[in-house]
Amino acid sequence: MDIGPYVLQLFSGLSRAMVLFLLSAGLSLIFGVMNILNFAHATLWLLSGYITFSIFQFLGEQFGASPWLLLPAILSATSLMALIGFALERFLIRRTYDRELPEQLLLTFALVLIVGDLIKLIWGVENRRINLGVEPVEMLDTLINPYHFVIVGSGVAVAAGLWFFLHRTRFGKIVRAAVYNRNMVSALGIRIPIIYALVFAAGVALAGFAGGVFLPLLPMALGVDHDVIVQCFAVVVIGGFGSMLGTFVASIIVGVVYSFSILFWPDGALAMIFLIVIVVLIWRPWGLFGTELRY
Amino acid sequence: MISAVSAPDVRRGALARHSLSVPVAILMFVLFLLVPLLPGEFWTHVSTEVLILGLFAMSFNLLYGYMGQISFGHAAFFGVGAYASAMVFTRLKAAGGGIGMLDFLLSLLAGPPLAAVAALIVGFFCVRLTGIYFAMLTLAFGELLFYIVFSWYSFTKGDDGIQGLLPPLYFQDAVHFYYLTLAIVTLALLAMWRITESPFGYIMRTLRDNQRRAAFLGINVRLHMLINFVIAGSFAGLAGALWGPFSRSVNPGLLGWQESGVAVFMTLIGGAGSFVGPMLGSVIYTLLQAVVKMYTVYWPLTIGTIILLIVLFMPGGVLGLIEKRIKARRERDAGGREA
Amino acid sequence: MSAILAVTNLEKHFGGVHVTRQVNFSMQAGEQSAIIGPNGAGKSTFMNLLTGYHRCDAGKVMFEGRDITNQAPHRIARLGISRAFQVSSIFARMTVAENVRSAVHAQMRRSLSIFGAASRIGIDESGRVLALCGLEGKRDLVAGELAQGDKKRLELAIALAGKPRLLFLDEPTAGMSIDEARGTMELVDRLNRELGLTVLFTEHDMGIVFNHARKLTLMHRGEIIVQGTPEEVRANETAQKVYLGEHQI
Repeated sequence: MDIGPYVLQLFSGLSRAMVLFLLSAGLSLIFGVMNILNFAHATLWLLSGYITFSIFQFLGEQFGASPWLLLPAILSATSLMALIGFALERFLIRRTYDRELPEQLLLTFALVLIVGDLIKLIWGVENRRINLGVEPVEMLDTLINPYHFVIVGSGVAVAAGLWFFLHRTRFGKIVRAAVYNRNMVSALGIRIPIIYALVFAAGVALAGFAGGVFLPLLPMALGVDHDVIVQCFAVVVIGGFGSMLGTFVASIIVGVVYSFSILFWPDGALAMIFLIVIVVLIWRPWGLFGTELRY
Repeated sequence: MISAVSAPDVRRGALARHSLSVPVAILMFVLFLLVPLLPGEFWTHVSTEVLILGLFAMSFNLLYGYMGQISFGHAAFFGVGAYASAMVFTRLKAAGGGIGMLDFLLSLLAGPPLAAVAALIVGFFCVRLTGIYFAMLTLAFGELLFYIVFSWYSFTKGDDGIQGLLPPLYFQDAVHFYYLTLAIVTLALLAMWRITESPFGYIMRTLRDNQRRAAFLGINVRLHMLINFVIAGSFAGLAGALWGPFSRSVNPGLLGWQESGVAVFMTLIGGAGSFVGPMLGSVIYTLLQAVVKMYTVYWPLTIGTIILLIVLFMPGGVLGLIEKRIKARRERDAGGREA
Repeated sequence: MSAILAVTNLEKHFGGVHVTRQVNFSMQAGEQSAIIGPNGAGKSTFMNLLTGYHRCDAGKVMFEGRDITNQAPHRIARLGISRAFQVSSIFARMTVAENVRSAVHAQMRRSLSIFGAASRIGIDESGRVLALCGLEGKRDLVAGELAQGDKKRLELAIALAGKPRLLFLDEPTAGMSIDEARGTMELVDRLNRELGLTVLFTEHDMGIVFNHARKLTLMHRGEIIVQGTPEEVRANETAQKVYLGEHQI
């Protein structure tokens, strides 16, 4: 049997899953700790892709083109996104903490539109894509772009790093505690506003990192964020708000289901995803690994 | 004798809320009647869009302002209504492309019932949840329906959409179609007003304010939510049915979350706290969009900024702001009189 | 005279915490009694279990001979049990009149009526309940803006609008001035006397308890410790120890 196409889809699915994970991890963290559903998360991801591209191009002009320049480009873009995230929280998001849920949702929804158009304003309507000029590698009856390994690798590395941070460092434990019980953490004398600011910045930075990392594989184009954000919601709902393990597992489920659905029912791949979301919400609204909250 | 000294009875809660809707509605209706007097077809065309999307937004507000839940999948019922009508339309129209008057009206009638069925199925699951989970599940269903319509090419023509929804000759005239729309929307809104002022309508408000307490009054919360969900979906379907012949085509985008967002924006701008708020929001939103798009392509940036500012500084929308001013003026007057 | 309410072996735990243990309790029709106990004794949880707000882990609740164990709150409410909450649980964005009116509509089974005009249905009954609770003059005020005491009266009015035969009051006088509290409890007495309404209330104020309850039940840590007339309970040594914090289970 020719397992070529299946292997290809598996790799494609896994790398898609990793990007989804990197993106959704931030979303899940932000919602878990702060109860804010950041509609603009994918748009910020997109913004980071464009920023990374520009930095990469600039560095290429300065130092001569080389695929290795992608690394500093990604790192600087990620740092910039962290600052942007920090500023967003400090000046906008913070004002909605005492508001009703719909108003919080609308604020981040508005950011989707604003940031999306700012991208258009600054970079215009053309796609941005980086061609690293890497040769596909032959593996298991098929040609695979080795960059997939980079993505999967960085996804796993970030997952491991996040796990370590959340479970082995003091700050990480505080963040996890805040997911369960905000008031208690505050009562322990830890300043919640700072935690919120740092968590939001970190979440956006993760999205930023994902944006840069995915650049060689997928052209960054206006409107991609609209498709991606609903997939992130799917991941976070399936895995459970606030759970990193849940986000990781759900990303793999969504990524792989999507890739294999492409083989059998191309247009309906996303319909499959939403069917899973619906089933999860009906059967277990807090997700596979989420904490059972009274809803 | 139980005595309690409370603030002056100047805060006539119910009166303050209703007192704005009625005059604003009457004013808007009169203005709507007069629109075709303006030169050219542009304003008539825009106003038709205002009415249709306004009806859509008002149907959304049955769930949001009156019942307290935010749905990000409401456009699915708008889209189902649009597609149902469009498909009946294409089956009924003659080979040459024209459609008879009766068949046309029949096609319009196809929208609401099918949207109601869709709302019944979707709502059955969604009313088990509230808050963010309700929002997520409605979003998921909306996207599911979108992708089904998008990918089922043989039935819905997928991304191509259904084209050629040309109304009968009489209604191809913008002004005639406009008045038809005005008539239908007005009747629909009168029915909606009746519903919101009925015992059921006030039970909805109890579900908004305190769902737990409503259950302890003996209200089967899920049943009532489901019925409201179906009613809201039906009105959205009616708006969708009008949309097809208005824009001469339907496309899957009508079901997506961005379209749902339009209803939310309109409601927020006009004010979710009054009956007629969403329609006012539609006026502001649609007119603004038409004007802004004449000068710049950055409409999302514009509306996004406006929404941001409204959320931060004016969450009650335009009507909410006006009501606050009236209330503050009344209290100031009452305070002055006492002094 | 048969028991209007009969609770047998009621149990409830949250996680590992046993909040209701082996509670046996009954009330006769027309009775007016109180449950007392230190904070955390499980009084509110007990009421929650009886009204369907929590699921029981074991035991049975019988009302007028019917088994209502673990029924949904709205079904229990329809059978004639009404409840007022400790923290006023009203419909904050509606006016006082609309609050009561909706409760009346629910009781009249008119909640699904989408064609009637709400302002013209059930006005006699609404008016009666508003007058009974002294809220007539405040009918058009928005509920959320009422003073605390008024909110509690509205709370009671909503509970009464359901024409209950059994009324649970969770700390009905909390947050009220002495005059208000006296007025509220006098109203409760009247309802009990004139309508035969069976009333069970929880209270911390011993003065209220001794003046308005004919039977007392003392709870501690989810268990019933003592039951009897106020005098009997007052004289009981175990009861005294509970209140002084010396009682160990």
